[in-house]
Amino acid sequence: MLVRVENLVKRYGNLLALDHFSLEVAEGEILGLLGPNGSGKTTTINCILSLLKYDKGVVEVFGKPMTPDAYDSKRNIGIVMQNVAVFQELRVDENIDYFCGMYVNDPKTRRRLVDEAIEFVGLGEFRKFTPRKLSGGLLRRLNIACGIAHKPRLLILDEPTVAVDPQSRNKILEGIRELNRQGTTVIYTSHYMEEVDHLCTRIVIMDKGRTLATGTKEELKSMINDGETISVELYMLQPDDVSQIRQLPHVARADYAENRLSVHYDGGQHNLLNLLDYLKSRDLLFGRVFSEQPTLNDVFLEITGRQLRD
Amino acid sequence: MFMHVFGYRLKCLARDRETVFWTAVFPLILATMFHFAFGQLMKGNEAFSPVKTAVIDNDAYRRDSFFRQTLEMLSAPGENQMIELTVTDEQEARRLLEGGIVAGIITVGDAIGLTVSRSGIDQSILRAILDEYAHTSATVAGILAKNPAAAAGLLSRLGQRRSYTQQVSFSDAAPNTALNYFYALVAMTCLYGGFWGLRNTTDVQADLSPQGARRSAAPTRKLQVVVCDSAAALVVSLGEVLVLLAYLALALRVDFGNQLGYVLLTCVAGCVVGVSFGAFIGTMVRKSEGVKTAILTASSMAMSFLAGLMVVNMKDMIARKAPVLAYINPAALITDAFYSLYIFDSHRRFFLNIGLLFLISALMCILSVLRLRREKYASL
Repeated sequence: MLVRVENLVKRYGNLLALDHFSLEVAEGEILGLLGPNGSGKTTTINCILSLLKYDKGVVEVFGKPMTPDAYDSKRNIGIVMQNVAVFQELRVDENIDYFCGMYVNDPKTRRRLVDEAIEFVGLGEFRKFTPRKLSGGLLRRLNIACGIAHKPRLLILDEPTVAVDPQSRNKILEGIRELNRQGTTVIYTSHYMEEVDHLCTRIVIMDKGRTLATGTKEELKSMINDGETISVELYMLQPDDVSQIRQLPHVARADYAENRLSVHYDGGQHNLLNLLDYLKSRDLLFGRVFSEQPTLNDVFLEITGRQLRD
Repeated sequence: MFMHVFGYRLKCLARDRETVFWTAVFPLILATMFHFAFGQLMKGNEAFSPVKTAVIDNDAYRRDSFFRQTLEMLSAPGENQMIELTVTDEQEARRLLEGGIVAGIITVGDAIGLTVSRSGIDQSILRAILDEYAHTSATVAGILAKNPAAAAGLLSRLGQRRSYTQQVSFSDAAPNTALNYFYALVAMTCLYGGFWGLRNTTDVQADLSPQGARRSAAPTRKLQVVVCDSAAALVVSLGEVLVLLAYLALALRVDFGNQLGYVLLTCVAGCVVGVSFGAFIGTMVRKSEGVKTAILTASSMAMSFLAGLMVVNMKDMIARKAPVLAYINPAALITDAFYSLYIFDSHRRFFLNIGLLFLISALMCILSVLRLRREKYASL
């Protein structure tokens, strides 16, 4: 295991931020740490980096206990903070060179790494800009470049896409996938479920400092008793018809509101066909039809009973 | 590694325009304002202009040859010229007085009279001259009445002045309290180096800034980073003080004596204490950056005030009434170091000031480092 966290307990006064939290990260995976704001994601990251004191537990990175002076381990870790951590007075290339220089001594190697990092995040035309002249998305990319330039074995990204436009977000996510393909193990925290859904090979859902569920996204989705949801636009559906639809095979729930019928299934096959056959048999005219698979949000709702972005 | 962290820190600080304004440009503006406010005091004595005076050309004046000679002597061009005399008739004299061209009209009659239209320094000078003349002539008349034989010796001594006190100076330099304003200004600028020290502590602590968190997560010893940052802060602060010093000495002609090496040593000691003071505030005060900046600004200004930045006698008053305060106030120590270099030939007092400055710096550095050495934080 590249990272092992066992029974971690962290208190802020009376607030229990981490409640015997455990985590294992294998080499080569992209682990998503998913949870609402205040669930303990950033606290976990700061404990792994040995920036925060914790009350109890074990943190090991690369098989060694993680301490503030574990410089050999730190040399192979890249960190992208939730808040942009760059110096406003230094240009893009200077910022990357500065932070890279804390890991890599050789100036020649460093120059190459800085160029590669700039290329990687697509900041080539902005390399002589100071951060205050960059947009929010470009600033986030610079923040990432400062964390990855030294080519770490383990990259920790703490909500790197907060307040980033969709275009920059896609660029960032694609970059992380590329790093992983090159062999970097990634721990990625977010409260954007769709990001984690698309990016991560394994997901830990946490809340109130505890692990609620762990697994691949397929495993997590299979944990909940939930299948697809089919939505149909139609007018003037009678209550009797809604009752009849609820009797169809595998239908868990059916609701009709604002000219839209939503049918939730608990599994089964050919659900769409069965529903459309019923509507045709009743000569009901319908508009557009949507079919949605369960999402991580459904998983989270099922597990915690509340929204992910609370 | 040292040069890498030091070099980039130097760039960061030197490009921080807002702080550069307050630590470098603001003292230059203050210096210029001081120059215009205290420029005349700085010259030691104001240029004296002879008092324009009218004397009425009447019979009594023409008869009193002794008084006439006295006025001619006082109005003779040269270094000792006291009055600028216009001998004229009464009507013209009144016109000159009402027009403000002359400060007073002297009329010789049974007694010597002075007519003025208002009171002021020039009028007081004229009155003092006439009073002294009246007093001296009465004394001479009295002596001659009793002993006519003393006339020859007496008249030859009348033009001589004898002083019964001796003025002793510590050095060749003339005491000049106005210099204290400028020395206190340099002290204030040294203490403003604290802004760099404060910024350094913010940028190195994981619980104070994201940059601090990123640097704390890097495989570099914190003490090494602190040393590099402090060295850069010291260079920037010293550069700013030297620019101010050059401006004061070369452009405004403020006298720092002729011991350049010791003046530079004072600047170095002042900057060290300034940067240390900022680091001390940054590490010891567990409040927001705004509160820390306010504390640093207020304490720097208070220390500079007590060193005589705004009231020139303040430093002496503190030295008399609360001498301990003078020994623990870095601004007072810096100011006094400059002044002792300027005024004393001996360096005993100068080195006492410098020694105390380094001692205070060492204490603040030790306490700051002890606090900064903590590598993990309770909260971020």
